[in-house]
Amino acid sequence: MSRAFWTGFAIVGAVLVETALGRFIPTPGRYIDPFLLVVLYCALVGGETHGMLAGVAAGWVEDALFAGPVLGLSALSKLVLGYAVGSAAGRFLMTGAAARALAVLVAAIADALLVQWLASVFGIEARPLGPLGLLTRATISALVGGLLFALVDRRLQRLSP
Amino acid sequence: MSLAAPLRRSRFLLLGLVLFHLAAISHQVDGGSGVTLLQRGALVLLTPLQDGLGALLAGTAEVWRAYGFHRETYKQNRRLEERVRQLETELQARSHGSQESDRLRELLELRQALPFETVAAQVVSRDGVPWFRTLTLDKGEKDGVALNAPVLSPTGVVGRVFAVGPHAARVQVLLDRDSGASVLVERSRAAGIVSGQVSGPDSAGEDLVLKYVEERADVVAGDVVVTSGLDRIYPKGLVVGRVRSVGKGAGLFRDIRVEPSARFSRLEEVLVVRRPAESFDTPKSVQ
Repeated sequence: MSRAFWTGFAIVGAVLVETALGRFIPTPGRYIDPFLLVVLYCALVGGETHGMLAGVAAGWVEDALFAGPVLGLSALSKLVLGYAVGSAAGRFLMTGAAARALAVLVAAIADALLVQWLASVFGIEARPLGPLGLLTRATISALVGGLLFALVDRRLQRLSP
Repeated sequence: MSLAAPLRRSRFLLLGLVLFHLAAISHQVDGGSGVTLLQRGALVLLTPLQDGLGALLAGTAEVWRAYGFHRETYKQNRRLEERVRQLETELQARSHGSQESDRLRELLELRQALPFETVAAQVVSRDGVPWFRTLTLDKGEKDGVALNAPVLSPTGVVGRVFAVGPHAARVQVLLDRDSGASVLVERSRAAGIVSGQVSGPDSAGEDLVLKYVEERADVVAGDVVVTSGLDRIYPKGLVVGRVRSVGKGAGLFRDIRVEPSARFSRLEEVLVVRRPAESFDTPKSVQ
């Protein structure tokens, strides 16, 4: 219950961040995905099931509010990534900031590739993201994610008894 | 064990969610021809089922139509059978009417040819008991029918009235063993008396016996036998029958069998002579 609440809270925060990025910094909005960061954090902390469900919820919200006419692409992508990262977190030691940043980097690239692949499979018109853009997006996400995850971890450690 | 169950559950959940999302996306994507991929996939998957279902429905409808057709055919067959029965009855009635018309015409012709007064009568029953050969007519005293009145048919002599009531009369036909009529062999003028045979009720003999014809008389098979008028009952010259066989009888007389001219088994209308026998003598034309 508490985990679901905080996940929902984080998704709402992601909505606000995405909205703000879209309004104030339109172009860089494409280079960071706050929803992906929420999903990855949930997967790293809560495991594959939590990451999967968080991916579904965050993906649908992202699809509903910020994506194109077809709903479900981001949700499916984040569902798979949430599961994959959650599974990886269960098998490997991914508590360090570098490891998490690396996970975010890989996940960001995977997310972009997965969405584009799904779009091509379903014949959906999607703006292609070049290698440079993809790498930029992944790098920014990894940096921001690594930093953010550390802050959150610290904050949560303070809150926990 | 405790770790495998959540893992399996999460994999099932993953699979279910992935499928759900694929379906959701497919539902929104145009798969060409204006239909979504989900609709297209559903068409691909469901069309054979629909085809089968359609074929089943078509087959059922065909069976139902065939059943209806057979039922209608059965009803129509019943109607046609009923119609055929009606038409057969009608045809039979017409045929009967035609035959009756022919018989009545023959009777009328005979009546017009006879020089004496006659009354036409209908045969209402025959051979009430097996031991006697009789007929019952629908005319009696009120119609001018008298006792011993001769009864004729267009083909020959039938018999005589032996009992008469106000509106009915009974006729003893020549086939009765107790009947008798004075006759002549038309060709040789040999005289005799015809009567029915002495035989049981089951006998098939429908011939008359010509009695009291001398051994030397000239009688051969095929000779026509006519009434002589000597018995004071039957008018002279009416055809009784034709000689079928001539044999040597016991004693002085020949054994002669006569085939009657009257068709006793098919008599339906007859003429009854009304005037006394003394006054009539059949003209040559009637003979």
